[in-house]
Amino acid sequence: MEATNQYADRNKKSKFSLHALNFHLQPLYFMLPAIILLGVFLFLPAILTIYYAFTDYYLLTPDQREFVGFSNFVELFTDPVFMKSLQNIAVFVVCIIIVQVGTALGLALLINKNRKGNIFLKIAFFSPVVMSLVVVSVLWLYLLNPADGLINSILQAVGIDAQPFLTSPKQAIYVIVFVSAWQGAGYQMLIFLAGLQNISREVYEAAKIDGANRWQSFLHITLPLLRPTTTLIIFTTLIAAFKLIIQPMIMTQGGPLNSTMTPIYYIFQTGFTDRLVGYASAMTVVFGVLIAIVSFLQRKLAKEDI
Amino acid sequence: MQGVKKIVKTILLILLASLFVFPLLWMISSSMKPEESIYQDLDSIQALLPSFEVSQWLTSYSELFARFDILGYLFNSILYAAIVTFGSIFINGMAGYAFAKFQFFGKNLLFSLLLAMLIVPVETVVITQFTIIHNLGLVNSRLAVVLPMIANAFFIYLFRNFFIAVPNSIIESARIEGASNWSIFWRIMMPMSKPAIATVGTLSFIASWNDYIWPLMILTDGDKFPLQVAITNINSTQPVFTNQIMAILTISTIPLIIVYIFAQKYLLQGLGSSGTGSK
Repeated sequence: MEATNQYADRNKKSKFSLHALNFHLQPLYFMLPAIILLGVFLFLPAILTIYYAFTDYYLLTPDQREFVGFSNFVELFTDPVFMKSLQNIAVFVVCIIIVQVGTALGLALLINKNRKGNIFLKIAFFSPVVMSLVVVSVLWLYLLNPADGLINSILQAVGIDAQPFLTSPKQAIYVIVFVSAWQGAGYQMLIFLAGLQNISREVYEAAKIDGANRWQSFLHITLPLLRPTTTLIIFTTLIAAFKLIIQPMIMTQGGPLNSTMTPIYYIFQTGFTDRLVGYASAMTVVFGVLIAIVSFLQRKLAKEDI
Repeated sequence: MQGVKKIVKTILLILLASLFVFPLLWMISSSMKPEESIYQDLDSIQALLPSFEVSQWLTSYSELFARFDILGYLFNSILYAAIVTFGSIFINGMAGYAFAKFQFFGKNLLFSLLLAMLIVPVETVVITQFTIIHNLGLVNSRLAVVLPMIANAFFIYLFRNFFIAVPNSIIESARIEGASNWSIFWRIMMPMSKPAIATVGTLSFIASWNDYIWPLMILTDGDKFPLQVAITNINSTQPVFTNQIMAILTISTIPLIIVYIFAQKYLLQGLGSSGTGSK
């Protein structure tokens, strides 16, 4: 009883509505752990990276760093490896969107039909998703071994010459596209499937009565109604694809001839392996702004669509 | 004619399914046969089958366990994933509660800042995160592996959306009974948000289990390595045996298979974690 009275008293004095706080500091206690962690490990690094980008910070001698103005930025635009990495990631992003999203949509359409054994197909298509990128990369490194890998022995069995795969500057980036799409398509298939199942059967039946064939109803019903799902998937793939690092790191070390070097991997090598934090930060700023712009556009477009 | 068409269709579907599963099958079966058989079997279907002698199935595993402290790596991975999972549910849940059910000065500003942080690509700032860990004197500590992975702007957002749906009248009546904010959070909000907890828990666990770059940077002691780092370490420790590598790959995949089986219905919720975040 006493507690109720106390509460009523306090509430009378408070300017806030009933569901509002009774102690002004309480929300702070609840947020404090998250705010501190996000502040120290996300917000602060983002700010510091911008600051470091204008210094010659060397990892082992942080106290001797000096302000160097825009010289890191001038350097990076003439750095052939960084330029090559931007070119590679552009190729990767475009290819992965076409291959992975296309495959995922195809698989979802295949499974969406009522057929015996669909559950097995679904499990099969999804199975690569359960492997981590490290596992996938190491596994395919063995499968794609030019000398005694399983893939080349299958190719030879059907009469195709053995391929160099990851050891070829021409093939390596496309092999990484293939492996990444193979790993990720199953997850996106599930999202497409959820989207497909939201489209009511009646729409298709109505179209059928109007004389539409299967291709026409796919083009004029399925695709337009699936647009929000597709937009979402394309942009999530896009953002994730920009950050490609583990596959080239494990499978090719960025080679051969930097043909699979990616911006994030190059930043890692420069900042961590070569310890040039200042220069790596400048590249981070340039590349980070690029990702942020794409990410921002995504939000705008997705809002219109969903 | 109809029958032939059906058979062709079925064969094509089986081929397509095989394209997706054969690497996994090869990985598991290669871990269950002697090293030389792996390469002898390459040009037959036997490549995807374990050794015909059951006694050879676990040989590569016992050799692997004898050479490396696999149980130690497994323990590390489980420890990191457990701390990240529970820490993430707890800390992001608390922040989500504050954003959902309190009015306070600067709330909207703070919330906009939080949403803006969703855009910061974490992977790009690892170098600076490393300098911070270095300045805190936490390099090569287990704490450094988990700390940056706990708080997550998207998970706070997810919890907030769930908590907003909890009717204020329930909170009011609890408050009139004399419940503190803490017990409202713990006894009412959290139990009513089991799907959010499951989603955040599943995604945190998978993210932590699969994390590679960060522990690789931060740890120098082999005995603190999680499995993912141990894999590449073992893969570059001579002599390298293919069957043992496939064994460690299999070992590190099994827990994920279990998680995916039990948590499959929560997986799609995580879409926004790398995506739009708008619902």
